[in-house]
Amino acid sequence: MQAAFPNSAPAYSLAQPSTINWRLGLPTYVYAVVFASFCIVMGLLWDIMWHMSIGRDGLFSAPHVVMYTGALVSGLFSGYQILSMTFQRNHPDRPKSVRFWGIFYGSLGAMFCVWGALAMLTSAPFDDWWHNTYGLDVQILTPPHTILLVGMMMVQFGAIVAVLAQQNQLTSQADPRLRGRIRLLFTLSAAFMLSVLFVLVSENMGRYASHNSSYYTNAAIIFPFLLLAVGRAAGGDAQFRYPILTVAAIYMLVIAVPSWVLQAFPATPKLGPVRNPITHYQAFIFPLLLVGPGFVLDWVFNRFSKDRATKPLNDWLLAAVTAVAFMLVFLAVQWPFGGFLQESPLARNWFFMSHSWMYAEDPTWEYRYKFGPWFTQTVGQFTTAFSIALLIAFVSARVGLWWGNWMRRVVR
Amino acid sequence: MKLLPFLLSFLLLIARSPLAEAHVGSSGVIVQKQVGKYQLLVSVQPPDVVPGTAQVTVYLEKGQATSIEGRPVYFFEGDEGAPVAEALKSVGEGRYEGAIWLMQSGSTSIQLTLNGPDGKAEVVIPMLATSTALREMPAGTGAGLAVMGLLLVAMLVTIIGASNADGVTAPGSASGKSFQRRRLVGMAIGGVVLIAVLSGGRMWWNGWADHYRNVQLYKPVPLISTALLDQNGPGRSAGAGVPQVILTMQPDTTGFSKNWQRRRDFNLLVPDHGKLMHTFLVRMPGMDAFAHIHPTRRDSLHYQASLPNLPGGRYLVFMDVVYRSGYAETLSDTVDIPAVKVAASQTAISRKGGINSLTDPDDSYLSTEPMGVKQDAVGKLHLDNDMVSCGKPGASTRLPDGSTMIWTDKSSPVLNAGELYTLKFAVADAAGKAAKLEPYLGMPGHAAILRSDGTVYIHLHPVGTYSMASETMLVDRIADTSRTAPRPNGARFRDSIDTYLTQFKAKPEAEKNALLALQMPGMDHGPNGINNMVTFPYAFPRAGHYRIWVQVKRNGQVLTGAFDTQVK
Repeated sequence: MQAAFPNSAPAYSLAQPSTINWRLGLPTYVYAVVFASFCIVMGLLWDIMWHMSIGRDGLFSAPHVVMYTGALVSGLFSGYQILSMTFQRNHPDRPKSVRFWGIFYGSLGAMFCVWGALAMLTSAPFDDWWHNTYGLDVQILTPPHTILLVGMMMVQFGAIVAVLAQQNQLTSQADPRLRGRIRLLFTLSAAFMLSVLFVLVSENMGRYASHNSSYYTNAAIIFPFLLLAVGRAAGGDAQFRYPILTVAAIYMLVIAVPSWVLQAFPATPKLGPVRNPITHYQAFIFPLLLVGPGFVLDWVFNRFSKDRATKPLNDWLLAAVTAVAFMLVFLAVQWPFGGFLQESPLARNWFFMSHSWMYAEDPTWEYRYKFGPWFTQTVGQFTTAFSIALLIAFVSARVGLWWGNWMRRVVR
Repeated sequence: MKLLPFLLSFLLLIARSPLAEAHVGSSGVIVQKQVGKYQLLVSVQPPDVVPGTAQVTVYLEKGQATSIEGRPVYFFEGDEGAPVAEALKSVGEGRYEGAIWLMQSGSTSIQLTLNGPDGKAEVVIPMLATSTALREMPAGTGAGLAVMGLLLVAMLVTIIGASNADGVTAPGSASGKSFQRRRLVGMAIGGVVLIAVLSGGRMWWNGWADHYRNVQLYKPVPLISTALLDQNGPGRSAGAGVPQVILTMQPDTTGFSKNWQRRRDFNLLVPDHGKLMHTFLVRMPGMDAFAHIHPTRRDSLHYQASLPNLPGGRYLVFMDVVYRSGYAETLSDTVDIPAVKVAASQTAISRKGGINSLTDPDDSYLSTEPMGVKQDAVGKLHLDNDMVSCGKPGASTRLPDGSTMIWTDKSSPVLNAGELYTLKFAVADAAGKAAKLEPYLGMPGHAAILRSDGTVYIHLHPVGTYSMASETMLVDRIADTSRTAPRPNGARFRDSIDTYLTQFKAKPEAEKNALLALQMPGMDHGPNGINNMVTFPYAFPRAGHYRIWVQVKRNGQVLTGAFDTQVK
């Protein structure tokens, strides 16, 4: 397939029929892995809601099939990309590839995707053994599930890298349509990955924990890292002024829309005991309001980051400024909003989904709509822990910038 | 402070004889009963890891059904908290199979609903959902995962190295020495980070395994039993001063406060066919002395019984208890019983399976030949195949009242492990005619089966291997539509049970049996009531040598017959 489109030259220079011009010269595998990333996040969210509402599943339950499709598409398209480059001596993309293990040629994105697909594959027998040894796990975070999630995120990261390699190869004369297309693919793939990362920590970042420092510590670990990497990676696209805000907004839609839709469908628990007799799918959770911190991070970037500002701060200082900005805005937004979701009757509707309750949980539990006393902290305790979270956010931000710099330079 | 847990775990390690295993070896539940117009034989293999699936097999022995559905019903959540039933698959010849998920540990049941031309019928099979298996990873899986793991590590290190070198080098630019160095630096850093991440993962996994072993895995409550000689115990008919042995059993509640999963409230024991608990004593190693006794509660943790003149020696103790949630378990221990020197007439009473007037009237004893002794004399125990009854190999044993108990329809001299058998025993009087039996604790008979090393133990009944008290608790709970079961006050509950048992014990035999029959709707003694036969459905879980004690009642006397069999 790649042979038919020998390079990523702007499409307008090629007299191709418009029917197949939709790719704008980008390799098919780039679209395929972004689609795979989408399948993975959708399958994952559906699977979570399946386990909250129906419970009983099999190897080929519908949500699993969606996730496998993601793994399969990314593995096959990336594997094909690597193998075709390896076995076609004259493959036009070979000079733009990475040579590894003496014989193979592949793009970096494809290598990440293949690794992710293999990790997902490996987690299956491990997970099966785990269920036979420690019992079927009903948590998201277990060692085999973590391997699965890491595999998923690696596929999604491969998609980002595949898109970025295309972006970073663009010249200043590149077709604005192609630029726009790459911008779209990048935004989507970054938002899909952010969504899976959020799912990974969601058990520790439920609304019930939003008045406890642990919530902010978890946020400090994962968000500055990914959001700043996104901001930095998009730095080369001068017209893309609000990449973090855009990615955060798409993340919110990715998390919220499947829940909004699925809760309209009937579902009956097939496992017992059933403490909460439900008739419809139970929604996952309302996403974090990351658009707030996202907007502020973009604002800081546009004023103080290299690629953006005329007098940029160095990355250490920038990391400090962004870490503090992120944490303060995140606190200012999530503290009241988490309280609203947890306690307000106005949150118990299809939009905010606070009434969603797994079939196996007791719906009359006294802390269903209250903050549990085990999360109570004194102001002193919270302040101390939040200060440590600020330091963590600084490290996370610095690593994120470093990672973003790398993403800014990746070309293969 | 840390010394105590260490010592405890050390002691547990020492005490970790196979006896300490859950359910004492027999984990499956077998039920054989008539419900409506259907005669059923049901075998349920509960999951050995929870959450997991129970494998249900139903043999429709009589009746026509078009569908059999099953669902799990937990005690605390009841009927309202049970999921929708799912159909069992018909696999031909009246056999149905299905897998039912048990998602949490505790007292639960499988409720089967039969539908068909013979009407609708329901049966509730009580069981314990609990993790009992400690698994290692099979070599094949381990090797496969290790290969994949190594491949993933190698590939990731390669990718990280390339990311730091090739990936950020514009196509066409020269690859020099610095390029190689960058690649190596990337690989080295990637490798170190990966090792750190994998070590963290390993610790996490170990923590998970520890939690499973220490919290989730079923461990019966340890039993502390002592048998003390009381030289001046209250007398028998002759008056005071006759020595007797008092057996005291105390569940060891150490560590209950720290581990709620292993905690039990012994206030909440419920009687099983009229007795607070059934305890079996078997002398080791020959299994030549046997007792089925019913201890009395002194307080919530102390249970006592006065033993008759059992020969002195080391005995295995199996204490069957049922809690108010239907949770049934066996506590076991080893106890040294001192020999008592008493008059020959008194010894004779116990050897005949007679009853000590101070103990529970339904207590029973048997002293016989040690296992493995093969003798041709009638009245002694046989390792069978030297006798034939009803045209099939069988074995017989002479009972104290002169009658004979015969193991009939034994399909082969050596039985197969895992195969479902109906063990049939018939009693003939001294003249060789069928001897009519009476209900013993409300049913035609009881049996205890023990493997020669004590690693398999089961107390079973004609209806199966489950506890009737559990069944009653679950059936009553399912009839109740409340979503949660109330948690009763322990002391008050104990008090009411003790009062009931005292009153029950004082009733005449006929009234007791009538009451027990009422409580056990599942007990169907057939159209003609109890005849001279008693049957027990059972599948021997493992190969080995087993002894079976069969207990029936005739002319007001409990008669115990012992049979040995080999299982391969």
